[in-house]
Amino acid sequence: MTQRKSISTSASRLILSLLLLLSAAATQAQGFLKLEKDSIPLFRGFSVSFDLVGFAQMQLSDHGEYEGAFRLNLHDQYFPIVEVGLGRANHDYDDVTELRYKTSAPYFRVGIDFNIMKRKHTGNRIFVGVRYGYTNYKIDVSHKNFVDPYWKTKVDYSVEGLACYQHWGELVFGLDAKIAGPLHLGWSGRYRFRMSHDEGDLGSSWYVPGFGIQDSSVLGANFNVIIDI
Amino acid sequence: MRILKTIRSKAVWQLFGLSLFIGYLSFSMSACSGITCPLNNTVYTIYHIKNAEAAVDTLRDTLSVSIYKAGCKDTLLLLNRAIGVVKFNLPISYDNDVDTLLFQWSDSCTDTVWVAKTNTPHFESVECSATFFHEITSVRSTHKGIDTIVINRHSVNYDATKEHFHIRFKAHP
Repeated sequence: MTQRKSISTSASRLILSLLLLLSAAATQAQGFLKLEKDSIPLFRGFSVSFDLVGFAQMQLSDHGEYEGAFRLNLHDQYFPIVEVGLGRANHDYDDVTELRYKTSAPYFRVGIDFNIMKRKHTGNRIFVGVRYGYTNYKIDVSHKNFVDPYWKTKVDYSVEGLACYQHWGELVFGLDAKIAGPLHLGWSGRYRFRMSHDEGDLGSSWYVPGFGIQDSSVLGANFNVIIDI
Repeated sequence: MRILKTIRSKAVWQLFGLSLFIGYLSFSMSACSGITCPLNNTVYTIYHIKNAEAAVDTLRDTLSVSIYKAGCKDTLLLLNRAIGVVKFNLPISYDNDVDTLLFQWSDSCTDTVWVAKTNTPHFESVECSATFFHEITSVRSTHKGIDTIVINRHSVNYDATKEHFHIRFKAHP
């Protein structure tokens, strides 16, 4: 384990603890698993959303996602959700290691958000939620001009179309603000943790579609434009 | 009524502002996800010296090891005049099917060791150096100074805690 990984792990644990503390406090205060008794019907429609963070990453860096979501609204309290996206990485050339890495694959997440606000029908929402994610992807890794330092021979370091998969989970804390009419804007912070994965004999993969830059666990964020339908 | 609307509007924007702050916090914290390059990122083989009773022994004569390359006059020294050690490390080639090594003693007596292996590209991250891992399939040698050489561990990777070969030298090479 590297020192950097230790710092990252500590930061992840700190954020996770804060999220859990916050959600636990909210849960205790609200009893959010109980359906609020009022005259509002159970089915309140659905919403579609698009994530701008992954889109911005895609435009500004060598990896990112196009991601959309479909979310049901049950009594403004429970929000079953399906998120689908296309994750891409095209790390053309690393200045230090001279490695190239390429992948492009769809992914999905399913889960549920709970609105923990006391007044649930205002249109503004504070969420805690969980997700299960899966992607099946292929990666290309290569290094041109790879030279053995002792034998001084030029080595072919190239892996193409290596099939990989990953299952992962996410803990979500998010906020939605009603802006105008059906339009909402919202953030969600996510703690992602890998459940199982396979990269063949290669060892690891770098970018995993929908999960991000590989680590045993990572923090992430989405900024969503949401339309209530 | 207007006051109520204003308060509601303020609440919305406050909530949104808070959401931006939390979002920024989460996003900036996500930058802490670090590089996971292993600290020990070299791949080499470990030779452990044994005596006739398979107990730990020491190198009693000066030993140098170099790479043998057919048709090449220049040889690269991998181990230079080692003596009194119980084990030594030697690099392994990235993609040769068989590495040929020359073990040279102080009296110019020379043994040749052939290490056959598989070569698998290994990858951690684009920020970590590329390398190869190996599976040793066989080892053999001439026997001027070397009595026996056997495989103790087949996998050659970042794990440098276990020796790959047990080597026994003749009493007076």
